[in-house]
This record gives sequence, C-alpha cells and structure tokens, in this order.
Amino acid sequence: MKVWNALALSLLLSGAAHAGTVTAYTALEEDEIADYTAAAKKALPDIDLKVLRLSTGELGARILAEASNPQHDVIWGWAVTNTMDPRILSLLEPYKAKGAEKLAAPYHAADDKWFAATGYMAAFCVNNERVKAKGLPVPKDWEDLLDPKFKGEVVMPNPVSSGTGYLQIVGILQQMGEEKGWKFLKDLDANVAQYIKSGSRPCKAARAGEFAVGTSLAFAAVQSVTEGFPVTMVIPAKGAGYELEASALMKSAKNKADAQRFLDWTLSPEAASIYGKYKEIVTTAGYKPSADSIKAGLPADVTKALLPIDFAKSAKERDAILERWQKEIGR
Amino acid sequence: MSATAAPAWRELDIDKLFLGFCLFVPLTALTIFFAYPLLTVVTRSLTEADGGIGIGNYIRILNAPSFWRATVNSLVMSLSTTAAVLMCGLVVAYAVHRCKVPGRALLLGAVSLPLLAPSLVQGLGLIFLLGRNGIVTKTTGLDINIYGFWGLLIANGLYALPQAVLIIGAALRAADARIYEAAEILGTSGFRKFVDITLPNIKFGLLSAGFIVFTVTITDFGNAATIGGDYAILATEIYNQVVGQMNFNLGAVVGILLLLPTILSFYLERVASQRQFGSVSDSAVPLVPTFTPKRDVPMTLAAWLVALLPVVTVAIVIYGSFVWLWPYRFDLTLKHYAVKVAGGYDPLWTTVQISIVAGVIGSLMLFALGFSLQRLPRHIVKPIYFLCLLPAAVPGLVLGLAYIFAFNVPGLPVYALYGTATLLAICNVTHYWTQGFLTTMTGLRQVPPTLEESAACLGASLPRLVRDVIVPSMAPTLVSVFFFMFMRSMVTLSAVIFLITASVSVASVSIMRLDEAGFTSQAAAYATCTMGIVVVASVLMRACLWALKRKQ
Repeated sequence: MKVWNALALSLLLSGAAHAGTVTAYTALEEDEIADYTAAAKKALPDIDLKVLRLSTGELGARILAEASNPQHDVIWGWAVTNTMDPRILSLLEPYKAKGAEKLAAPYHAADDKWFAATGYMAAFCVNNERVKAKGLPVPKDWEDLLDPKFKGEVVMPNPVSSGTGYLQIVGILQQMGEEKGWKFLKDLDANVAQYIKSGSRPCKAARAGEFAVGTSLAFAAVQSVTEGFPVTMVIPAKGAGYELEASALMKSAKNKADAQRFLDWTLSPEAASIYGKYKEIVTTAGYKPSADSIKAGLPADVTKALLPIDFAKSAKERDAILERWQKEIGR
Repeated sequence: MSATAAPAWRELDIDKLFLGFCLFVPLTALTIFFAYPLLTVVTRSLTEADGGIGIGNYIRILNAPSFWRATVNSLVMSLSTTAAVLMCGLVVAYAVHRCKVPGRALLLGAVSLPLLAPSLVQGLGLIFLLGRNGIVTKTTGLDINIYGFWGLLIANGLYALPQAVLIIGAALRAADARIYEAAEILGTSGFRKFVDITLPNIKFGLLSAGFIVFTVTITDFGNAATIGGDYAILATEIYNQVVGQMNFNLGAVVGILLLLPTILSFYLERVASQRQFGSVSDSAVPLVPTFTPKRDVPMTLAAWLVALLPVVTVAIVIYGSFVWLWPYRFDLTLKHYAVKVAGGYDPLWTTVQISIVAGVIGSLMLFALGFSLQRLPRHIVKPIYFLCLLPAAVPGLVLGLAYIFAFNVPGLPVYALYGTATLLAICNVTHYWTQGFLTTMTGLRQVPPTLEESAACLGASLPRLVRDVIVPSMAPTLVSVFFFMFMRSMVTLSAVIFLITASVSVASVSIMRLDEAGFTSQAAAYATCTMGIVVVASVLMRACLWALKRKQ
C-alpha cells in the first residue's frame, strides 16, 4: 500500500501547478502561438507558461467537461461567441487587464470577464486555376456566388459544426436583415457543393483545386497564398463577418497573480507588435499588418472591411439560428 | 514451477487463485476504465438544461428530423460497409491462410496499412487519388464525385478491412487437414468443401468480424469529416452537438443510442453462434495448402486487387509529403519534414512509449480474461462478454470526454492518473478492447480442448497449462493483438485529443494541428514519420520475438 501511496503522491505532485506556472487553453493558430509564447517567456521569465492548443469547438467541449475542476488558469484567444456562453461566463473571474481600458467598447466585456486583443474574419479562397478552367468570374461579394455558373463549385463550412460557418451566416443575416438574409442563404444553397465540418477546410478544398470557391477565413487564405497555392483572397466587398478572440481569467486559477501578469502582457504594445504578423484584426493600438497579408490582398485598415456584428445578439440567437438552418437548409 | 510437486488440494487452490486473478484484474480494470466512464455519459444524457434529471434530452433528439436522417444514413452506410468488407476480408484472409499465394506477409502488411495510418492519411490519400482534382480523375477525365456515400464507403471499408482480416484470420488459422482429406476422398468439390467445412468452422469469426466492421463504421467520425461531404451520419450528429454547439448532454444521448445496434447484434450473434460447428480437435493435423492453380491464381489476383487500394492511398500521401506543393509543383523536397510548430517531433516519442504500454497491457489483460472466461459457467460469461463488446460502440469523442468526467475528480484515487501518459495508454486499450477481445476469443476457440484436458489429467496446474499448452498455440493471436493495440495507439486521435495536456501530447494530435494550421504537406510528412516508426518498431519487435522463439 505504501508504495502505491508514494506513487500516487509523486504523480500528483508532478501534475500539480508549481509556483510560477500558468496554464493557458487557446484556440489561436499554431505558428502564432509559438511566436507569442517565445516573446511572453522573454518578457516574463519567471513564469512557466504552458499552452494547450485545440480548435475552437474541441476547446469548448474540453473546458465544459473539466468545469468541475478546471485544469487551466487562463483562456487565451478563444471565440468570443463561445466565451459568452453562460456556462463559460460562470467560470470566469472579472479582471481588468492593464490596457483593457484603452480597448473600444465592443472589444471587452462590460463586467470585465473577458477582453479581446485580436480577431479573425471571413474571406473567400478562390482558386485561380479552377476559375480560369471553368470560365468563372472572380466573385467580389456573397451575391456574386448566386450566379448559376458557380453551381457545385462553392464549399462552405457547416455552421452546426463550425464556428466559422456560424460567423459567416450571422454576418449575412445581420447585414441583410432576417428575411432577406434567410432567402439569400437558401438561394446560395443551390450552388453549394457541400457544407464542410471545419472553418479552414473549405479553403483547403479550394486551394487543392477541388472546388472553385471556399468560403473560409482570411487567415487560411493568407496562409495559402503565402504557401504558394494559386489562390486569391477575396474579402466580401460590402463587409465581412468576423469573430473576436477573447482572453479571460479563470475563477479557479491556482496562480492568479502570474495569470494576471500574463493577461496584461497579451495587451502590451510588445505583444501588439507581433500580432500584426499574423492577425487581420488587432484591437489594440500600434500594430501594422504583415507584409504577407498585404501582399495577399488585405486592406491596410481592416476595420473598414468588417460588418458591424452584434456579438451578444449572435450568441443569444445561436440555438434558434442553427435550428432554423438545419430545418431549412441543412443536408 | 514447483507447484506441480505439491499435493492435490494445494494444486486446486493455486488453480482457483490463478483463475480468480486472471478474471479479477481485467474485470476490475474494465469496470473502472470503461463501465464507470460510460455511466457518467448515461448520467449526462439524462441531465437536462436546467440541471434536473429526466428524459427531455432524448425527446429532443428523437424529435429532430436530422437525427432520423442520420440514423438511416448510418445504418445504410454500416450495412453496406459490413457486406463489402466481409467479402473482401474473407478473400484476403482465405488467400493468406488457406491458399498458396506468393508474398503472404506482404499481403497482410498491405491490407493492414490503414491500421497504422493516421486518419488524415486515408482522407488525404483518397482525395489525392479520386478527388475532383485527383490523379485518377484528371488522367481518366472521369467526373468522379467522391464526397458523400461512395467516398465514405471506401474510406470506412479501408479502415475496417484489416480488423476483419485479423479476426477472420484467427478463425482460419486452425484447421484439421484430415477432414479436408476425407472430403477429398469422398470426391467433394473445392467449393462444397468451402461451404460445408470451412464456412461453418469460421462462423464465429465471421460473425465477430461483421460485428466489428458494423460497429467501427457506425461510430467513426474522422472519415465522415474529410470525405463524407454532406452525408450526415450519427457520429457527425454527436460532433455537431458536442464540438459544434458545446452541448455534451445532447451528444451523449446520441452516444447512448449508438449502443442499441450493438446490443441487437450481440443478441443476434449469440443466437447464431449457439449452433456452432465443433471446433478443432487435439489430434488435428495442420492444414498445409498445396499449390492448386485453379484456386490459387484467381485468389492471388483477387487478394492483391483488394490490397492495392490501401497501398496506393498510403503511397500517394507519402509521395505528397516529398513534393514541393501538391498538386501544382511536383519537384521533390525535404522541406516539409522540418516541423517546427505543434511541438515538433517530441510527441512522437511519447506516443511510442504509450503505444508499447497499451500493447502490453491490452494483450495480457485480454488473454487473461479470455482464458478465465473459457473456464467459467455460461451465465457468468454472458454479461462479461456483453460488457467486452460495448467499447467498440462508443465513439472516441464520447469516450475521451467521458474520461474527463470520470477521472477529473480530485479525491478519487484514479485522479492521480488524470493528465498523465498512462491514462492515454489505458484509454487506448479501452477504446480498442472489443477488437482485441474478439480476436483473442476467436483464437482461444481454436485451441483444442482435449489437449488441455489431457494436460490437466497429467497433473499440470493451470499456470503451467497456460505456459506449456495455451500460450504456444495462442502465440500468433497474442502477437497480433499486441500489434493491433500498438498500431492503433500510435495513430488514434478521437479520444486522446481530449486527454492530452499542455505537457503530454501525442503524434496524431500534432498531425491534426499541422493540418488545421494549413500545413497539409507537413502534416503528411509527420504522418509518414509516424508510419515509418510503426513499421520499424514492428519489425524490431517481431525480430525479438523470433529470436526468443529460437532460443527456446
């Protein structure tokens, strides 16, 4: 018995947080995490920053499943629509991070439970070769995709399984209004070849030449262009739907002081200077978009390309919208 | 073993003790690491939005039209896959075990490829080949639409085929040449021999294989996500609820309902196997197939035809990992192998350790359990048998989250395992328990019972019987169970993705993360390294086994 106790104890110890350890759960993208973590470790050398990266949906399932005994101290860069779920909010502790006061109103919670330093936006990935081969025009906006020539050539993320899919249809519904929006989605459905499970996959399908247009994320489009795929990024002309990446302090954080210092860092000018390398949307002042994204066709002032999205509304109506989508459009 | 010299009453005690131990350890493990987590899923499925207990979630799911559409699709898909895979699986297993075909090991290796291929490989390979911009599509000019039913059928079939071959092979491995000789003398045709002798003999194996194919197909999500297009199935319904909408309780309902077909097929299988043909006798003469051109030439062709698709699918992804930019620039390069993000190659080594542990624990536990079940009365065996069939019916996604609910509870002794690599290994053993169990049981059925009886008459204790009689005749099956667990642990993703931590991660997660980040070629490179390691490790371990056998 003694041996087992000792073994269990040692395992417990190795699993427990050391002083100075901050565990962050994030849905940020792979290469940016590597860059930010390196910089954060330099700025906060006494903090042992541990990061678990999962996709938005999987992270949500994980956080909720662990809710009775959370294993992380902070949420770092996770879709704000998911963060605003009441079950998630109840796990968060209000914290006014240094620099949060400078953020514009839509970018932090009124009760300080979350703030968003960055975000991502919808964009089309258009395959130049396929468009040329099929004699298709390059679409400029959502309406252009209604052209019957695009029949079977458009792939969208499924809003039921993908946050990106949801932000795209919310963008359309909030921009066009309920009635016109739903009619548009139904008309568009005639041209959609398939609704794919994740948000970046439509871009991958388009860049591989499987389909002409994948409605996806600007991040995926820029990445594909940089990798050398024959892809053109198109940001819907009348404005793109977008999502904010929220950060928050967990009530259960074992090491609150250090967790707060890390959250402060994510709003620091130093962090902001790196965000520009990867992000289309940076809410803090003092960043420049990367050369890659400008080359890929991102406007210098992205805020003008964004639709005025009401996130509280989109979070609240989520169930109803998805139910209607499944009933009227879902396959 | 000095026990053999002890008086008879002590012998009995040792036998009982040994049997009890063989039953107790795996059963306890199965209770803690499967039944208990499954119970948390049941509880969740009954927990309503307001926190109360009730069947509201079930009513909500059963009233959703999307659920019924997915159910019909799932059943159609699983039944078609089962039919196709049983046919192909029988062809391959029969060719390997009962015919004289060239390159048997190679053939088995070829169909086993999907077992050691990360799920990305299968989806990517099929799209590279048969996608709208795929090689076959472009060169033939055919208008193939792989996304949907057909693509999913092929992908599921590829994945299920080696599992079917494993079980059918265990059934075909043993045969009594004398029966076939007698039939020969009576002038029985080859076809009649197959229908009247072979088929009845392997009925249990065929049923078990059919059960496994059906179940793994109905629970698989990975293929549906990459190649299933809009073909909605139950596993995607679970994903939509749990991952898409953070609604585990509703997903749990679908997870529980997925157990129903398993319960049904368990019942059907029991009914069918009650009329089991007599098993192999102790005086059996091993069947050594002689070259029969009329049978062996077509069988060789048919088996290799079946094996061609997995080989090409995997090969094209490996090739793709060396290509500059698929499908636009085909210059060769090694640049995709310089993986810097997603934890680099470190998780790969963790995965090798986890997989070896899973293989050892899994094969030993299953052997012990199978051995003790054979010596217990039917009414005790039945419920245990049933419990052992359930793990295959639980989708990985549900199992992984169930592990969080069950073990992320401070105060429980098992909490010590939460967040460790050990729990990942245990989770893998549980996830693939059923396949290992059915293979073990099929193999054990082929150990001649009279051989055991005569050993017992000569005063051999049970431990000694295991060492001298059962293990030698079971060795090939034990080894294949070990390798099955090892290979699957190397590449499985759906359950472990919820159990990795900031410090403990595995190769399959790195592959998925690379793919999600858009580095498809790097993901393919990482997958190629993983497959390479599986192959090298398998060859090394087989060499060790071979050396051990020679030393004896």
